[in-house]
Amino acid sequence: MVGFSQQQEKHLIKTLEKESEQLNIVERRGFLKNAMAMVGGSVAFAGAGGALAASSNLPPSVPIWGRQLGEEVLTHPYGKPSKYEKDVIRRTVDWLTPDKVSSISMTPLHKLKGIITPNGLAFERYHGGLPSINPDEHRLIIHGLVERPLIFNMDQLKRLPSVTEIKFLECPANGGMEWKAPQMEGLQFTHGMLSCCEWTGVRLSTLLAEVGVKPEGKWILAEGADGSGMSRSIPMEKALDDAIIVYAQNGEALREEQGYPIRLMNPGWEGNTSIKWLRRLEIGDKPWYHREETSKYTDLMPDGRSRKFSFEQECNSVITSPSPEVPFKGKGWYEIEGIAWSGKGKIKGVDISLDGGVSWRPAPLKGLIISKCLTRFSYMLNWQGEPLLLQSRAWDETGYVQPTFKQLRTIRGGNSIYHRNAIHTWKVYDDGHVRNAQLNNN
Amino acid sequence: MNKKRGLVFIVSSLFFACQPQDQAQTKDEKAFATVPSGTAAPSAVNEQKDLPTFYKIGNSVAPEVIAGWDIDIRPDGMGLPPGSGSVEYGEELYEKKCSSCHGSFGEGEDQWPKLAGGDGTLTEARPTKTVGSYWPYASTLWDYIHRAMPFTAPQSLEDDEVYAITAYVLYLNEIVEDDFVLTKENFTSIKMPNQDGFYVDDRPDTSNTRCMKNCRDANTITEVLAPEYTIFVKTAALKTVALKEAEAKAKRIVVNQAVLATYNGACKVCHSTGIAGAPKFAVNKDWSSRMEQNKGTIYDNALNGLNDMPAKGGRSDLSDETVKAIVDYMLSSVNNK
Repeated sequence: MVGFSQQQEKHLIKTLEKESEQLNIVERRGFLKNAMAMVGGSVAFAGAGGALAASSNLPPSVPIWGRQLGEEVLTHPYGKPSKYEKDVIRRTVDWLTPDKVSSISMTPLHKLKGIITPNGLAFERYHGGLPSINPDEHRLIIHGLVERPLIFNMDQLKRLPSVTEIKFLECPANGGMEWKAPQMEGLQFTHGMLSCCEWTGVRLSTLLAEVGVKPEGKWILAEGADGSGMSRSIPMEKALDDAIIVYAQNGEALREEQGYPIRLMNPGWEGNTSIKWLRRLEIGDKPWYHREETSKYTDLMPDGRSRKFSFEQECNSVITSPSPEVPFKGKGWYEIEGIAWSGKGKIKGVDISLDGGVSWRPAPLKGLIISKCLTRFSYMLNWQGEPLLLQSRAWDETGYVQPTFKQLRTIRGGNSIYHRNAIHTWKVYDDGHVRNAQLNNN
Repeated sequence: MNKKRGLVFIVSSLFFACQPQDQAQTKDEKAFATVPSGTAAPSAVNEQKDLPTFYKIGNSVAPEVIAGWDIDIRPDGMGLPPGSGSVEYGEELYEKKCSSCHGSFGEGEDQWPKLAGGDGTLTEARPTKTVGSYWPYASTLWDYIHRAMPFTAPQSLEDDEVYAITAYVLYLNEIVEDDFVLTKENFTSIKMPNQDGFYVDDRPDTSNTRCMKNCRDANTITEVLAPEYTIFVKTAALKTVALKEAEAKAKRIVVNQAVLATYNGACKVCHSTGIAGAPKFAVNKDWSSRMEQNKGTIYDNALNGLNDMPAKGGRSDLSDETVKAIVDYMLSSVNNK
């Protein structure tokens, strides 16, 4: 090494090795390689071979984080995930939409546990981009066929009695790219237009009592304050049943991506009906037939006619582990885990098949079982390297059993885009890797 | 008091402060334990009885205040403002404000929505759903143009302009003649070809059962392979979506945040994708011929429009200064190389 004595060189190498201890093995290899190039590159690291082969943070060594102090409080006034979780992010598929303003991103379901989607990972769907609204300048107007048209500011909404409920939210186009054949190589893309949060807000029925709905009032137009003025017609029965005007999500203020400062939440219904950045509710005697309930979000059937107001998200399920992103790594016992949900109520049970639907066995539900909410199922499998055609089949409290692809296609053809809730197949290969698959007869 | 003694003092105060409370708690527990069985123990109140039917929260709102936000139109004409617009005027406006995305004949540029054509394709393998072939009501068209179009300048059109553009899109779909003038009065006489093509959701439409054994013949299972026209998202999509070079560069350019926000809201859609021949942000070759012009010409083009680009990108509400600042920002994306 040019310009260094042997002793200096030794000391330098030792320092570099020490400083790189906090890095993971891959980062460390890169760091040391660069450092070596920088100091001259002619000398091999004395102890580097050993250090690179095995992390000195593993037993019997005492890891570096146990031999020094960590960061002080308020280093991160609003906490964030570990840097080692940086791949757990929302992702999109470029060719789905002409631009990223009116577009969608998906939740990394393969990395999530339990039933709650963290606020920063709930899928996004914007029809005119993400607005940033000053809550002091936001208002909700309720008018139309009412006794007392009213305008609310955010403080007033928060004085009304509130409810807190855990509900899933799903775009009806979730999996819509898969009607004709498997297209997406990953759970995040086949099922990721789905999230589940704890929502807090005022029942819409409470607000309707404030304005006094006239007897002719049968429909409500909900409208957003965003650049698309996103609007949908909601039947009065739903409004009086379980709809919520939401201002908090998983304990904190609603995220901008989810409609800050307020959104409508229609539990169990297709996501776009839960209008975000809600600014106006108009009570009327008939639906409005706006763009997002005619041109879009209608289901084209093989006879050329279309279903309208197809609100409910029917019973669905998917195995989250293994999945293309979470392969088996070697033989032995594994927890096969997944999620099930139904827009009609509680999940009653889930069966899984290892052989492409020839035989089925019940997979126990675990954790909270709540109406219109993600529900976890789990099945322990001792995998010995045999190829699998892995499927899950959920049913809900109405008795509805999740259908096969064939059943859906037979009735709906291949162009209805929305509400694809078919039994999903993961093909597990003998080396443990997993691929998205569809089978001919189910 | 030195620091150490201060700390001891605080800790000991806390200790003493806690003492009596602990004792009180023990007393309460004892009290609960002595409630005779059969007597109702004190329990949480789950329902409050003395609540009104409503709370009188929220302010009354005047009709003229509601009117500013009440923009919706219904198939029966409810909500339509007075006004009118001709196919002829509509064509002029459409060319300026709509064609860069939707195409001169409504054929749609790139992936942007097709507005015309597709008659009789709804039963085909690849149906073309347009205003003419699919939309059930003309009111939907008026409402949507009014509330959300042009994409980069929603709610910027005058009512008469909305009538005119609606008339022109109907004309592109051969629903009205070229001399047609759409008005509030004749609006509900328009009948769309697919008006009767919709019916209320009749699901559930499948009836699967919980078969557990021998549900199908294992020997006949084959995989459905992706047809040629489908695009596989391979593992590349699973990797972290890296910031595109241009976006990364945009971050490095120092720019007023308000200018950046306006660029993102008004200009980015075209200038990041290059639709309608827009020079792309941070792409040198798109700008090289423009850079030969003097800056005043580039400003003028942005302010007054050029080729498919409308004046101020369709945002007539923007000040000249803002538009010039955005031009500077875009130029800096190629100057900085």
